[in-house]
Amino acid sequence: MAEPVEFYEPRTIAEAVAVLASVPDACCLAGGQTLVAGMNMGPLFRPPALVSLQRIDELKGITQRPDGTVVVGAMVTHRTVAQSELFGGGLEVVREAAGCIAHPAIRTMGTIGGSICHADPAADYPAVLIATDATVVVTGPSGIREIPAAEFFVDFMTTSIEPDELVTAITFPPAPADAVSVYEKFTRASGDFATVSVALALSLRHGRCESVRIALGSCGPTPVRAAAAEQRLVQTSLDESDVQDAGRILCDAAAPMDDVRGTADYKLMLIPRLLGRTIQRAQERAVAWRVE
Amino acid sequence: MSQVSELGASMPRLEASAKATGVARYTADLAFPNMLHGAVLMSTSAHARIKSYDVSAARALPGVRAVMTGADIPRKRFGLMIADETALAIDKVRYIGEPVAAVAAIDRETALAAAELIQVEYEDLPGVFTPDEAMMPDAAIVHETFAAYPKNFDCIADGNAISIAQVLSGDPDEAWAEADVVVEGVYETQAQYHAYMEPVAAVADVDGLGRVTVWSSTQSVFRTQICIAEALDLPRAKVRSISPYVGGGFGGKSEPGVQIIAALLARETGRAVKVVLSRQEDMMMMRSRHPARIHLKTGARRDGTILVRTGSVVMDGGAYADDSPAAMHMVLHFLRGPYRVPHLRFDGRVLYTNKLRAAAFRGVGNAQATFACESQIDELARKLSLDPIDLRLRNVLQQGDSWLGKHPIGSASIGECLQRVRSESNWDARRAALAEAPTSKSGKRRGLGVSSVVYTCAYLSTSAIVRLLDDGTVTIATGAVDIGQGSDTAIAQMCAAALRLPVDSVNIVQADTDATPFNSGTNASRITYMLGQVIAQATDDIVSQLFPHAAELLECSVEDVELVPGGRVAIKGVKERFVSFADCSRRAHFKAGGPIIGRGSYVFRVEEPDTELTINKGMMSLAAIGTYVFGAQVVETEVDEVTGKVEVVEAWSAHDVGRAVNRQAVEGQIEGGLVQGIGFALMEELVWSDGQLTNPSFMDYKIPCSLDAPENIHAIVIENPEPTHPFGVKGIGEPPVIGIAPAVGNAVEHAVNVRVRQLPITSERVLRCLLDRGS
Ligand SMILES: Cc1cc2nc3c(=O)[nH]c(=O)nc-3n(C[C@H](O)[C@H](O)[C@H](O)COP(=O)(O)OP(=O)(O)OC[C@H]3O[C@@H](n4cnc5c(N)ncnc54)[C@H](O)[C@@H]3O)c2cc1C
Repeated sequence: MAEPVEFYEPRTIAEAVAVLASVPDACCLAGGQTLVAGMNMGPLFRPPALVSLQRIDELKGITQRPDGTVVVGAMVTHRTVAQSELFGGGLEVVREAAGCIAHPAIRTMGTIGGSICHADPAADYPAVLIATDATVVVTGPSGIREIPAAEFFVDFMTTSIEPDELVTAITFPPAPADAVSVYEKFTRASGDFATVSVALALSLRHGRCESVRIALGSCGPTPVRAAAAEQRLVQTSLDESDVQDAGRILCDAAAPMDDVRGTADYKLMLIPRLLGRTIQRAQERAVAWRVE
Repeated sequence: MSQVSELGASMPRLEASAKATGVARYTADLAFPNMLHGAVLMSTSAHARIKSYDVSAARALPGVRAVMTGADIPRKRFGLMIADETALAIDKVRYIGEPVAAVAAIDRETALAAAELIQVEYEDLPGVFTPDEAMMPDAAIVHETFAAYPKNFDCIADGNAISIAQVLSGDPDEAWAEADVVVEGVYETQAQYHAYMEPVAAVADVDGLGRVTVWSSTQSVFRTQICIAEALDLPRAKVRSISPYVGGGFGGKSEPGVQIIAALLARETGRAVKVVLSRQEDMMMMRSRHPARIHLKTGARRDGTILVRTGSVVMDGGAYADDSPAAMHMVLHFLRGPYRVPHLRFDGRVLYTNKLRAAAFRGVGNAQATFACESQIDELARKLSLDPIDLRLRNVLQQGDSWLGKHPIGSASIGECLQRVRSESNWDARRAALAEAPTSKSGKRRGLGVSSVVYTCAYLSTSAIVRLLDDGTVTIATGAVDIGQGSDTAIAQMCAAALRLPVDSVNIVQADTDATPFNSGTNASRITYMLGQVIAQATDDIVSQLFPHAAELLECSVEDVELVPGGRVAIKGVKERFVSFADCSRRAHFKAGGPIIGRGSYVFRVEEPDTELTINKGMMSLAAIGTYVFGAQVVETEVDEVTGKVEVVEAWSAHDVGRAVNRQAVEGQIEGGLVQGIGFALMEELVWSDGQLTNPSFMDYKIPCSLDAPENIHAIVIENPEPTHPFGVKGIGEPPVIGIAPAVGNAVEHAVNVRVRQLPITSERVLRCLLDRGS
């Protein structure tokens, strides 16, 4: 017989933290789309205790602060993000990424908190959090911590939260009014994880790049960002040679691996090519936005 | 329920609602009192001698009822063409994933935990992982005792070869001299996983008489019965094999899955045992399509007339033969394509390697041959600056032509199929427009590609028993397993049409070796054709017994009655003077003659090839291979020049089905096959690293889903009634899968001017070709 799994259903963040702190090896259960699939692989992948976050209403909403910051509760599903009106311009990349995670059934269950805590480098949210300069809000026995995304993803499937901590929200700072953003995901087949993905946030003035943030998914143990690549683009008109140079710098920073989705070589070939496409789409968006 | 009795009418599958609502019971849904659950321990070594087992910890685990290894089972080998397999490895393991031991326990979790506790000591042997390695002079030998294995055909083989064969017609060596142009290339196809929705499963039970009954997910209850009987050293009469609903097979369930293991465990414990594989286990343990490397060369006159074609094929058979010889022989048989090729020679070889066994898969051998053949026809067209359809039409088989060695081809409608896809796809205008269109702003280009399709249907033998019940309805038993392709509905429709009954007056007996007569299996696109033959016989038999009763009741002579719709026999031309089937059948049941039973038996057989015309060396007999089926497919693809990704955006698939029994079901087969063909063309591939399968899950192994399928699939049904068939039907199960890969390759070349000769046509392969091509 399978070992029974203890099951907790706290109603508040505080209760959840208390359970995590007191029950050894207890594990949060969010949408279950990663965790339960893993548990089905066998007893080895079954935590002794699950703390379901389903009933904690505090974790469920998307709100906008007066300064424009968008706060997304950890238990907000991919589907809800994909349909939210609060992600436009510089944050459109968030909505776009959520809309291309897996298939509808998984988007209806899976959550942003679960996705980033799993920290799969092939997932869609991690690069987006980096490109949008988001912050992860965490609660533990000693209180609340705010962790910049760049410090949250520390290694392959590893984050900087402690076992007794809980991600409660992700905050996306407001982007400049003229910013546009794009998520470009390349997959072998629909619904697959990315072979390579590019998250881009860009401000243009008269066709020149004012500021840009680029993060790559599936190109290393954590999302890849290269300040030098961004600097190479700033104050240029994003000509082919600018983009090629930036792509080359990103390739140097990337460390993709051979896997079923493509060889490392192919992923390196894709990086500058997808970057070009992403920038082109961002430029088109900027034009369309101005016309509107 | 539908009252349709017309042949050709569209009607929903009989079981559609049961399946859609979850009421249909599959093998995994079955439960029996005190039933145990089985688990299988898979080999972790690709090639090794088994030194010893230690099962003590597994046996000691609470809840475990039986632990069996190769040491506990009869040393009896089974196999379709070469008896080289045992249900659990004996003495040696030959691939990672091979069943080594089995456990029965009170639940699946316990069985799995116990299997993990079994210690197997292996002495590793060098492995051979590709046909090239297998052919090396000093290669490790996968089956040392091959020579002693029983075989059911004239097998030529040496070293690691499972079968070596040749087809020769005319004088190819001389013919090259007359060719103005020659095209030559090497075409490679990959291991494709069958990806049926239902992983293999079996439940076995034994009764007090020592009889074994097995319910399982299978394409043939009779093959299953035979294999269990052979492996367990039992007479057929001691083995009963039944199939509940089956969730797909595609060739992967023609030969045994876990039935023998379940039967061994049931015999050992005296209790019912259920074995259901997980997806990962199924992918590692079962089967794939044969990878093939085909070297092909074609010579033609400047006007496009093909004169000569030669080729050689090397195929990877994996660790056990299964139907590898047949798969390779099919490649040789079909490499000529549906064309007049006066001179040809094809050599083939299929080899053992230390990997998952390869086996029949929808379009067995033919899909590989057609990729090479139809890619090369386009290359020839290019070289001659001819339109690909024009070139094909110049060479297609004509009425009265024959296949190799004077094999009759029935209605030679390949030309008609090509014309239909040409007109329906608006080929000429569309191709010209696409060629001239600029690359889209986002870097995408479209192209149009075509492929001819030829296959056979029928094969081996089948039988049917139709019983007229006392109320005038009928029960038909055929032994055919409906694996999801819809044969039950087709059987009911043909039987209803023959007796002019409503379809819901026909009851179909679930395939069961005790209750239904012999049918060799649901494969080779054979069921509708073969069942039609025996249904016609059996219903004629019914009618001939029915009419005397009707004549007696109507007080007229037997010559003066006829069938009229609705289960009635009437006086010819006077349909209000009738008696019902019920009237006649009740008379038969209770007054005169006894219950009415009709029977039909049929074996497909044509002449062996004429050896004056064609020499087949080392081949199985092709006299039972069936009648020919023609088709043509066109696809429009979009190639992303930035990433190399190819998408099929629209498809046309025309098939001469003889006569559609159920139009909607035919269209379903065409659409489903076509999408499976897209998977083969673009994304599906089992990948091994040193004998270890690297992608045994649907997370890593991708099959096309609805979003990857083109929105517009034009299923074009052509009906030239098959002269050898009472209802005029031909099989359509496999043809739709076959031409897609070459059509896609041809469309890619049309779009972006690169030729990919290796499947799948992944974005990486295309991008590399694009970069080599330059811009
Ligand atoms: C078939 C399939 C395809 C997929 N494709 C994609 C894809 O294309 N792109 C993509 O990005 N993802 C994909 N996913 C993953 C999917 O997005 C998951 O929803 C997500 O990774 C996990 O979210 P969840 O809410 O289901 O988390 P769960 O599975 O419940 O949890 C995941 C992990 O996070 C921990 N956790 C969850 N919430 C918290 C919290 N608030 N604080 C601390 N720890 C927490 C859990 O303990 C667990 O370890 C796919 C999944 C499947 C099954």
